[in-house]
Amino acid sequence: MQRQTLFFKDARYFQISFQCLLLAYGIFYLQWAAEWWLYAIYTGVSLGTQLAAELIRQRGWPEWHNMGWIKSALISALGLCLLLKTNHVYVAAGAAAVSILSKYLITFRGKHIFNPSALGIAAAVWITGEAWVSPGQWGSGIVLMLGVFCTGFIVVSRVQKLDVSLAFLGTFAGLLFLRQVVYLGWPADYFIQSVSTGSLLLFSFFMITDPKTTPNHPIARIVWAIIIAAVAFYCAAFKFMNATPIWALVAMQPLVPLFDRLFTAKKFQWHTQKQVLHSRY
Amino acid sequence: MKKIIATATVLAIFGQHLWAFCGFYVSKAAGTLENKTSQVILVRDGNRTVITMYNDFTGNLKDFAMVVPVPVVLQKQDVKVVDNGIFQRLNDYSAPRLVEYYDNNPCAMREEYKYDSNAPMVKSMTTESVGLLAAGAAKRKVTIEAQYTVGEYDILILSAKESNGLKIWLDENGYKIPAGAEEVLDPYIKSNLKFFVVKVNMAEKQKSNNAFLRPLQIRFASPKFMLPIRLGMANANGDQDMLVYAFTKTGRVETTNYRTVNMPTDKNIPLFVQPNFARFYADAFQHTWAKEGKSAAFLEYAWDVSPANYVKCDPCVSNPPDYNDLVQAGVWWIKHDDYENYVNEFDGNKGKVFFTRLHIRYNRSSFPQDLSFQTTPNMEAFQARYIITHPATGSLTCDAGKAYLKDLKERRRKEMKMLALLTGKDVDEWQEDISAVKDEEDNAEAMYATLALAMPKEQEKTGIPAGLIVLGTVLVGGAGVMRWKGMI
Repeated sequence: MQRQTLFFKDARYFQISFQCLLLAYGIFYLQWAAEWWLYAIYTGVSLGTQLAAELIRQRGWPEWHNMGWIKSALISALGLCLLLKTNHVYVAAGAAAVSILSKYLITFRGKHIFNPSALGIAAAVWITGEAWVSPGQWGSGIVLMLGVFCTGFIVVSRVQKLDVSLAFLGTFAGLLFLRQVVYLGWPADYFIQSVSTGSLLLFSFFMITDPKTTPNHPIARIVWAIIIAAVAFYCAAFKFMNATPIWALVAMQPLVPLFDRLFTAKKFQWHTQKQVLHSRY
Repeated sequence: MKKIIATATVLAIFGQHLWAFCGFYVSKAAGTLENKTSQVILVRDGNRTVITMYNDFTGNLKDFAMVVPVPVVLQKQDVKVVDNGIFQRLNDYSAPRLVEYYDNNPCAMREEYKYDSNAPMVKSMTTESVGLLAAGAAKRKVTIEAQYTVGEYDILILSAKESNGLKIWLDENGYKIPAGAEEVLDPYIKSNLKFFVVKVNMAEKQKSNNAFLRPLQIRFASPKFMLPIRLGMANANGDQDMLVYAFTKTGRVETTNYRTVNMPTDKNIPLFVQPNFARFYADAFQHTWAKEGKSAAFLEYAWDVSPANYVKCDPCVSNPPDYNDLVQAGVWWIKHDDYENYVNEFDGNKGKVFFTRLHIRYNRSSFPQDLSFQTTPNMEAFQARYIITHPATGSLTCDAGKAYLKDLKERRRKEMKMLALLTGKDVDEWQEDISAVKDEEDNAEAMYATLALAMPKEQEKTGIPAGLIVLGTVLVGGAGVMRWKGMI
């Protein structure tokens, strides 16, 4: 068993590290370096908006020893960096601002409703029409390996819960397999090409897992993830849409308060240094 | 100091083997037909798609038959033949380009101008005739959904219940299905795709005065935005190439199930590449393709060709597509007025047309799926552009001239390094071209031939790539810092 350190207590460190790893892979291997300005805007505006919101909420400077707000803003910003493309500064800044502000403005019983990055992406793509998601941007070579590594790391370190990830990924990949290989009769490499995309990996491990915007009760969480997977699969396989998991997530997020009402459970809190350690997982 | 003087395009890359479309040819004469490079025009807006398939089949027309999977049953009004020249014009306009610059002599300022361009490729075809059989279909659970003649083509739209039936039907009607094609027939049938089966109607062919088979254009409404390359892989040996010329209202087209990678561009390459630019680009493409993992589409050109956008290329290597070209290509939303009336320049919604050229080299192992596309709002222009620079001429004995020569040597070394980097081949491979460059005596010390001797040999990269080292360092460093801070 590994040491009970902050890194393993707070999944956000792991998320930030892994998202940075993916971003570095993109920059060094996939020619993303030219988009540095985009990453700068996402990060800058996310941190700025979050700071401004915290200033207002706390009526003063946030406590520096509690870095929660920075971690949270960084994860949202990295989510945008890894998925959302645009050529316009105002769209990038708008997406980042919407992501962060939604956490403060669109809430229900003290819990924000939308996953910040997913909402930012959806708003930029569907409202401005000047942004897009490139599902093919990852290639397929190294992504499966990263996925296995990522899952393995989570299993071994128990850094975050896998229930939502596995419920989503299992359902989505399972339905794709049934459709593509079993029903349509494509060879296995056709299916592998479908699932070995970085966007799916990111979504499964770092977006849908956000404990703040998933139902609190474990069963509700799994059912909810399965619904998202089914909707995403349907839109991809029969409506020929792209990046469907993100749109399905945003569409299904208003169900979370309903699930929370039907299945009562304790609201999630990030572990911080002051909390006890043995309540993990 | 520099001035753009002239440009030349790559026309000869695909040289003699511009075979047609991404479906497959079926042949009565076993094993003689194959398609190596196809050219396709894609026009897409909303759910509407227009696909134009270039046909430069050069064998016996009796043997010509083409099968293309399509998402819906096409009626006669959805199919037409278009002018052959459109592909040549789009290719000329969007091909990777070589740009020439001329250095001024620092000792005596003067300018020179020079223009040149490549002559377009001319192809010829033979004409012969055969009819199309459609018999025994029901027995094979093959339904003929529609049947008509368009231009010189007899067209059948088939739907099938099972792949075996389709295969047998085609066999019975004299078409030989290539062995590898069978594995995709079944998934296509179950995906509810129809089969667009084309043969040449010899009577019609003889009536028309065209020496060649004209491109076929089909239009349909379907959310599917894809090209069925898998069927075309059946009868190709190894890698096949496809050029996609795409038109949208909003911006670039990209592949959604494979990466879309920009070709390296704006690179300075040695002067001696000029006579063999096509060879250079073929090498550069092959190398880039291999380096990017073979499983990707490559962007060679992207530009806003809207009537309102005055600058349609920079530099232009041939005329940008005009109103007639766009109409031929199938851009249905463009109106003659939009094109002629520059008064509407600032009306952003008037006749927007964005052009994308993608180059895809595919094979069975790297491309398990058909190509899926999406339109994006990305209107950023792109061109695969390579630069050669002619040295200054005349005496270079003044101080500035000596400094210039020193710079020239350094620059030429860099150019040769770039050449090796882009093509993955040693500069030695260009020996003949290097010695063919006639430098003036005053440039003697900066001659490519001399410099090439001192060039390090291009090493096959074996060890860990630099990026991975940086990445590893960042990770380990990050972990170290977190450890130091007591986080882990």
